[in-house]
Amino acid sequence: MTFWETITGSDLTREWKGFQARADALPDDHRAAWEQINAHLFPHADFTGRSLMPILDGVLGLLEETAADGRSAHEVLGDDLPGFCSALVGGEGARSHRDRWREQLNRNVARKLGRLGG
Amino acid sequence: MDDLTEMLKGTLEGCVLHIISSEETYGYAITRRLNELGFTDVAEGTVYTILVRLERNGLVQVTKRPSGLGPPRKFFALNDTGRQELATFWAKWEYLSSRIDKLKEGGR
Repeated sequence: MTFWETITGSDLTREWKGFQARADALPDDHRAAWEQINAHLFPHADFTGRSLMPILDGVLGLLEETAADGRSAHEVLGDDLPGFCSALVGGEGARSHRDRWREQLNRNVARKLGRLGG
Repeated sequence: MDDLTEMLKGTLEGCVLHIISSEETYGYAITRRLNELGFTDVAEGTVYTILVRLERNGLVQVTKRPSGLGPPRKFFALNDTGRQELATFWAKWEYLSSRIDKLKEGGR
């Protein structure tokens, strides 16, 4: 990764386009699963989304592999897509945007209360 | 047997380690092995998340091999750390199952 890419995220855009091209080549049910997985994973991304890229690459590989074998997305992923996604990003307790916002809010409230002498 | 998943969750990683320990293998083959054993609820996606975790924790050695059709397949073999982890898993399993058996047989 060059400095320019780090600053602009241009490599991410390029990589993302590559993912989309690969996803477009998938059968319908696999593509639908890909879109849902994306929706589930994005809250877990860091600010730029860079942390997600290797995970997404792997998932896309899994979908491509199973599509080539002629297996359905449901057969491969089962019923628990949210569970699958949280296991991917590191277990049930994976921190998401929401957790971080909640922490921030708690901190701010505690500080305000402290200042009021409550 | 239904609803085994919750109970199986904690041990599935050990089961996958054990399957990999006997020979280098890939996700779908591991899933099929588990299904044959009677764990019919285990989907490949579940095994996939375990394999990702094993790789991240440095317990396996990964090799990409071309497959007949489609993209290359990832094959997994245990490394030394993985073998240690597997030994630990079986030790823990022995402990857990002996205690639970004891409980069932009327001990207190």
